[in-house]
Amino acid sequence: MLDYVIETNNLSKIYSKNKVVDSVSMHVERGKIYGLLGKNGAGKTTTMCMLLNLTYPSSGDIYLFGKNPKKNSDGIYSKIGSIIETPGFYENLTAYENLKIIAKIRGNYDSFHINSVLKMVNLENAKSKKYKDFSLGMKQRLGIAAAIMHSPELLILDEPINGLDPFGIKEIRTLLKRLAHEFGITILISSHILSEIENIADVIGFMDEGVLIEEISKEDLHSRLNKFVEFEVSDIDLAVNIFRELELKENEDFTVCGNEICLYTHLQLRDKFNELFVKAGIDVRKVNLCEENLEEFFTRFVSNN
Amino acid sequence: MLTFIEMEFLKLKRSKIFLLSIIGAILPPLLMFIAVTAFDEGQTFQMLFENVNMYMSAMFAVLLFAIIISYLFGREYNEHTLKTMLTIPISRGKFLMSKYIMFLVWIVILTVVTMLSATLFGFIAGLEGFTMELFAGSFAQLLYANVLLFLTFSPFVFVSLFITNMVPAMVGGAGLSLVNLMIYGQNWAPFVPWVCPYLIASGEIAEYTTSIMVSYGVILATFVIGLAISYIYFTKKDVQI
Repeated sequence: MLDYVIETNNLSKIYSKNKVVDSVSMHVERGKIYGLLGKNGAGKTTTMCMLLNLTYPSSGDIYLFGKNPKKNSDGIYSKIGSIIETPGFYENLTAYENLKIIAKIRGNYDSFHINSVLKMVNLENAKSKKYKDFSLGMKQRLGIAAAIMHSPELLILDEPINGLDPFGIKEIRTLLKRLAHEFGITILISSHILSEIENIADVIGFMDEGVLIEEISKEDLHSRLNKFVEFEVSDIDLAVNIFRELELKENEDFTVCGNEICLYTHLQLRDKFNELFVKAGIDVRKVNLCEENLEEFFTRFVSNN
Repeated sequence: MLTFIEMEFLKLKRSKIFLLSIIGAILPPLLMFIAVTAFDEGQTFQMLFENVNMYMSAMFAVLLFAIIISYLFGREYNEHTLKTMLTIPISRGKFLMSKYIMFLVWIVILTVVTMLSATLFGFIAGLEGFTMELFAGSFAQLLYANVLLFLTFSPFVFVSLFITNMVPAMVGGAGLSLVNLMIYGQNWAPFVPWVCPYLIASGEIAEYTTSIMVSYGVILATFVIGLAISYIYFTKKDVQI
């Protein structure tokens, strides 16, 4: 039996008459990075807020570490670190003082530990700087520091890379992967940046209009990505005519874009097609076997569902 | 709970509002000092303390406390720290109570500041009649009035949770100060929660036909109702992200 750190059954949230989260049944396995992918307004933040008890569900059940958090909230939530959207800290206080407040209330204040966490997120030189003077990227880093400071077993991170520069994104990505794979921390991370989720997640949950459409492991995802062959040719009209003579249908079996033809069916015959083009006097400049990227898959997946 | 209070103090570090509230607590003694020196009013410490206590707890404290309570609760929403605090985790009830207790501690500090500054201004103005007994009695009276006033501020907790910026609190506080001014001396003053703390503490309640217990009842009812609606609202409402 799989060990789920997060499990929800038909979790829903209705604001007025608007169902922003609709019967979400989510399964996050221990030690995995689960990427929640969806457009803005898909219901990712609301789902995370319900998991963190910041928002109350209209219906459905939540199980964290296999337990109902309503019955043992302190024991469960103390094992969770989180960031929901832009982190919130006291603007008149420094990075160190903000973390001190959190650590003191948690009952595990240790000055050395706070300094080492600040170092981990590259804020050691800004520990005495007031939060109001932080850049957005620094705020995100401090949020991550606060989330991991108490060595949680589960991290719930809502758009944690917002505002980070490419170097910052890479550092945080490496840090999260390390936390998951070396320390066994389970991570639920949401983003609307598809490449980021593709980079980091072991399992991806696709969300749209409040519905969790499907949960797919990265291995399954790659087997489900559409593959196609891309021909770059000197005479596109002639190449299209050859395909038509072979009874291949435009926009179904192949598409045309500039000097390129993308073939979606009969991929195993690509060498034969290449031969036919050459025999017809067409210069074939490029033949690529391509795989649909996550963005294309997501667009197709959401529109199909 | 002590850790919570300690952390509430840390949250006030470099905070302008704390300094402003201290200046606010000095304002009634300062005005009385000006009145004494410029208009030759109140030539003794007793008169100075009586006037300071009246203007502070019956009028100015209402506005000052409204601003403080609004800041204490509202900043958690405005600086988006509520989601950080509640996911530590802290129970919502404990969070609410720690803030309300911090409000009491803040009031006690302001009471001390008011009395000390009144004494200082009295000496600068060359007033006569200062005794430790008078000081202690006046301090006890102001502290008692302010603590009773603290109890009547629980509805403001709800207002601060419901409308998180400080403008409604400032308008409400200023409005209540004016209402207090209009009601003070009227027959039904002992029934108004924000007037009776001063009437009880100063002993002026004896001049009214209404029993002192009625005024205590009004204060207690305001406290319980305000706290109950604040607690229900805060624990049942989703945190706005």
